[in-house]
Amino acid sequence: MVWISLLGIVTLVLLARALGFAKAPLLADGAQARRVAADALHDFTPTDAAVASDRRGALVAGDDGRIALVRGFGDRWVVRIVNGAQALASGDRLRITSREAMFPAADLELGPDAAVWAQRL
Amino acid sequence: MNFPDPVQMAVPLFIIAIILEMFAVRGGARGDYDWRDTGTSLAMGFGNTFAAVIFGATIVGVGVWLAQFRLLDIPATWWSLALCFVAEDFTYYWFHRSAHRVRWFWASHVVHHSSQHYNLSTALRQTWTGFFSLSFAFRLPLFLIGFPPEMILFCAGLNLVYQFFIHTEAVKRLPFGLEWWLNTPSHHRAHHGTNARYLDRNYGGVFIVWDRLFGTFEAERDDEPVRYGIVQNLATFNPVWVAFHEWLAIARDVAAADSWKARVMAIVGPPGWRVGTTADTIRAHWEASRHAPPAE
Repeated sequence: MVWISLLGIVTLVLLARALGFAKAPLLADGAQARRVAADALHDFTPTDAAVASDRRGALVAGDDGRIALVRGFGDRWVVRIVNGAQALASGDRLRITSREAMFPAADLELGPDAAVWAQRL
Repeated sequence: MNFPDPVQMAVPLFIIAIILEMFAVRGGARGDYDWRDTGTSLAMGFGNTFAAVIFGATIVGVGVWLAQFRLLDIPATWWSLALCFVAEDFTYYWFHRSAHRVRWFWASHVVHHSSQHYNLSTALRQTWTGFFSLSFAFRLPLFLIGFPPEMILFCAGLNLVYQFFIHTEAVKRLPFGLEWWLNTPSHHRAHHGTNARYLDRNYGGVFIVWDRLFGTFEAERDDEPVRYGIVQNLATFNPVWVAFHEWLAIARDVAAADSWKARVMAIVGPPGWRVGTTADTIRAHWEASRHAPPAE
């Protein structure tokens, strides 16, 4: 019974993948990043946003000084306040490592603004 | 009267229904899947069956032991079966309501809500730790009343099987007035929402009338699509983390608490109490912003 169940699970997962349910989300623009952050954080009023060049993540600033990281997870988005997180700017890139367990680090190519955003964190 | 295990019997139906829903969505029906999310949901369901094997006997044992103190000798008939089904759903309502309002219970139930998807595979995303959060306790009064134990378990199984089929976006509304008294895909979509409007609403299992009676009903609105998931969505598909993350968070909050009140609230307070993101505060904030005068 255990093996039949496992076989069923693997079959369904492979079928989902074969049917194309394996998208990665892309942000259209800063407005979408702000909307995603505002939807996820109930007390967050976004002001400005910087979308990574690959459009797979963004930083969104709130009117209260907090910064939200928007990053892809599966085919959806996850959002976290990242003030106080480890932020390493290197050229055009910014690597943000959250203190939260099991929350993967984010690499954002933000162009010349990378260092500015790192300071805001 | 013989009472089979409805869940066991329905497993092949579950698999067929998921396959059909995947193809329907691919063909244009409303809904969505993600293979990684589905994998996690099914892994949680798989683990749940092990938990049921390990702890099921104890739970049934407690029920049967309590049955010796029963108030009535209810015979196993069709009318008592119908009565038991309704009564079991009533206890489910209170279990489910508590599972959202008390963090100790939520630590198990959060697993079911931890997907940002809403499809038939989400229905199988079940906890591994229900035994520890005492979810079975809500059903114990039925044993004390005097319903036959095997009838109670049969009704609980039927309830679960029914609820599997409402985890879909493919069905918009049910006809013939069924939306008024049954928990439907529409009502349950709202239940899985993180929108302030939908948070902690529609706890019913089979019947939505309990929510209408006790003031927890919220209709799904076409002008406000449901955003599925939890207030702080997970960023991992790891089933072990999905199963235990809230228990760890409770332990962390208790350890960091600076008063006994904070420790107690970290365990039995509403989810989000420490950081001010309970469903009530989120809804209050939303209500205030709706009624605030527009900015000049």
